[in-house]
Amino acid sequence: MSERVVAVAGLFDSAQVLLQAIPRVRAAKLGRVEAYTPYPVHGIDAALDLRRSPLAGMVLVAGMLGAITALFFQWWMTAVDYPIVVGGKALFSWQAFVPIMFEVTVLFATFTAGLGMLFLLNRLPFFGHPLLASKAIAAVTRNKFALAVEAEGEPLDVEAAKAALATAGATGIEVLSSQRELLPLQFLTRAAMGIVASCVVAGYAMYWVIKLFPVLPPMVHMEDQPKLNPQKASAFFKDSHGMQLPVEGTVARGYLPYLIATQEEAAGLVNPLPRTEPVLQAGRTAYNQHCAVCHSLLGTGRPTLTSAYGAKPANLQAQTIRDYPDGKIYHAIMKGKNAMPSYAADLTEDERWAVVHYVRVLQRAQNARDEDFQ
Amino acid sequence: MNPRPTVVWIFAALGSVGVVASLFAATPERFWGNWLLWFLFVLTVGLGSLFIVALGHLVGARWSVPIRRAPERLSGLVVLAAPMALIALLSLPVLYPWARPEGALNPVVAGKAPWLNVPFFVIRVVVCFALWGLAYSILIGGSMRQDQTRDPAFSVRARHFAPAFMVIFGLTITAVAFDWISSLEPEWYSDIIGVYLFAGTFLAGLAASALVVIYLVEHGRLPGVTNDHLYNLGGFMFAFTVFWSYIGFAQYLLMWYGDMPEEIFWYKQRIEGPWLNVVLLLAVVHFLVPFFALIPRGTKGEPRSLRWVAVLVLAAHFLDLYWLILPVAGTSPPFSWPEISFALCFLGLALLWVRRAMRSGADMPVGDPWLQEGLEFRL
Repeated sequence: MSERVVAVAGLFDSAQVLLQAIPRVRAAKLGRVEAYTPYPVHGIDAALDLRRSPLAGMVLVAGMLGAITALFFQWWMTAVDYPIVVGGKALFSWQAFVPIMFEVTVLFATFTAGLGMLFLLNRLPFFGHPLLASKAIAAVTRNKFALAVEAEGEPLDVEAAKAALATAGATGIEVLSSQRELLPLQFLTRAAMGIVASCVVAGYAMYWVIKLFPVLPPMVHMEDQPKLNPQKASAFFKDSHGMQLPVEGTVARGYLPYLIATQEEAAGLVNPLPRTEPVLQAGRTAYNQHCAVCHSLLGTGRPTLTSAYGAKPANLQAQTIRDYPDGKIYHAIMKGKNAMPSYAADLTEDERWAVVHYVRVLQRAQNARDEDFQ
Repeated sequence: MNPRPTVVWIFAALGSVGVVASLFAATPERFWGNWLLWFLFVLTVGLGSLFIVALGHLVGARWSVPIRRAPERLSGLVVLAAPMALIALLSLPVLYPWARPEGALNPVVAGKAPWLNVPFFVIRVVVCFALWGLAYSILIGGSMRQDQTRDPAFSVRARHFAPAFMVIFGLTITAVAFDWISSLEPEWYSDIIGVYLFAGTFLAGLAASALVVIYLVEHGRLPGVTNDHLYNLGGFMFAFTVFWSYIGFAQYLLMWYGDMPEEIFWYKQRIEGPWLNVVLLLAVVHFLVPFFALIPRGTKGEPRSLRWVAVLVLAAHFLDLYWLILPVAGTSPPFSWPEISFALCFLGLALLWVRRAMRSGADMPVGDPWLQEGLEFRL
């Protein structure tokens, strides 16, 4: 790539001289005039006729966008997509959203300010500003002020620029040309290679660190406490087994032993549940799930099952069963009857009694009395 | 600040007639609620100004030296607030349940009796005013004397006193918030109410100072003070508008989340029914409008626009105190001739007080060694 003149720069001794020189150099209208100073100089914005930075507006818009984004996200997640009541508050509780809205506002605003300044306004990435290669730059970082006429699109009139700077009082005028420009593809390749290299280095470093310095469990107090582990030895018991049979006569919580042996003995049991709608609903659910497959939805029994099952399922509408006290039906559920197995394991205590109620409802539905129609 | 003091005098006199009339015509809660409101408004504008003066000394600010006389003169409102506080002590049995005999029957209030009892309350009020008076005489009196003596020693002394004042100010402003505002409902408590009141106080001081500075600049009495100085006042107002909102919302958020009966009743009184309109208006005039109005660089540095924002911020601070105090007087926000009378009377008195202060001493601290550097301040 051929060398191209990008700027002509000259040095000034003080900010005052620089400020006086700027309008004169600008008047020559040779290209963009840019000042390089060791510290911010008051009034230089006006002298260079810099337009107001659009950054403030960008930050304002991004901040408001952040607030709206956070509000929308939280509304969508907590009130629409996966509604969960927290602490008895309404699903859309704006009060709880405000801290996150505040944080996201700040996040969007600061990222826009930082990245917008670096990439949009300062036109990163670029590698090496021409002025950095100049002889003047060392002085600019100490006590001198540089003014540069920079090419804008068309080639710079080098001699005219030199003359303009010289008449404005600049010393040490030099012509700056671009050495070499990095193409975007080259930049991307190098960046990708750099990322891959750092991943490889970090991965191997992590591997060896973990290998050489074994990771200690951070907190083991809960694990180390004296306790019984199933299927592990224990020094606490004589037979040194961790698992022990329950003490004789132990009853599991919620399961009272059923000591009645015959259906006749069970005749005296009284249904403890009231005949309320929720109980009957529970009874219907349990009946339809467990009983109806053989006894049919109406309780009449399904003769079609006889050949497959070896016995005819009882017709619950039969007069003998209609005459049963509640306890006998309950006993049949608990212990089974004829070919019917026990359903004690499938139904809870309350469900069994609810089924008994429901069977009574089915029987009454098939044998309605006159007063039921009034 | 009105150039025609006779008009202000007439309004203040009319207002005081209304104030006396409302003592007999309005309910005692309403009368004393209004009295407390105006006492705290005058006090907080004065205290906020005193804080600005001390803050300038504390951090060694140069830019604020040319405009320091404005908050220094406004600090005199603390002196005006002292007799108002003495009269407000009469309101204790009316407004404060702990000062009534039945307060002892409430176990929560009885538990707070070691702090909330009339003798100790009076002692705290007297001690607070004594401390503020001490700070006033050291910081403002010394600054006025420096006009004549041109002795730079005062500037050093003020800088050494400022840290001590910050501690005093932090404790006393919290005491004001706990004693005068929080204990209106003694079952309620909020640790942050002192910070909340401080935020409003500082804002009120800034707004009042900005108004005085703009007035003096427009009358050519502050040569050398530029829009850059105003810009800094506007920037402070912007920051503390956000700070006030942050603190106010933090208090609300925690109590709303906890929803504990002993805390939330305070908010239920203040955001239910007609008071909801007041709190919504408060959010608009104390946060939304000043926040967006102060974002552009032009508002902060332009006297024309900054003046309106300052007036709005002062009014919003008043509304804030109104919202804190007046719910004890009724379930709907009172606004009628007693409130207008109080406004005429005490706004007039405060204006006349500030006007009198504006005539004493120079308009700038001419003896301060940093004055020239302050005048050269540019953004």
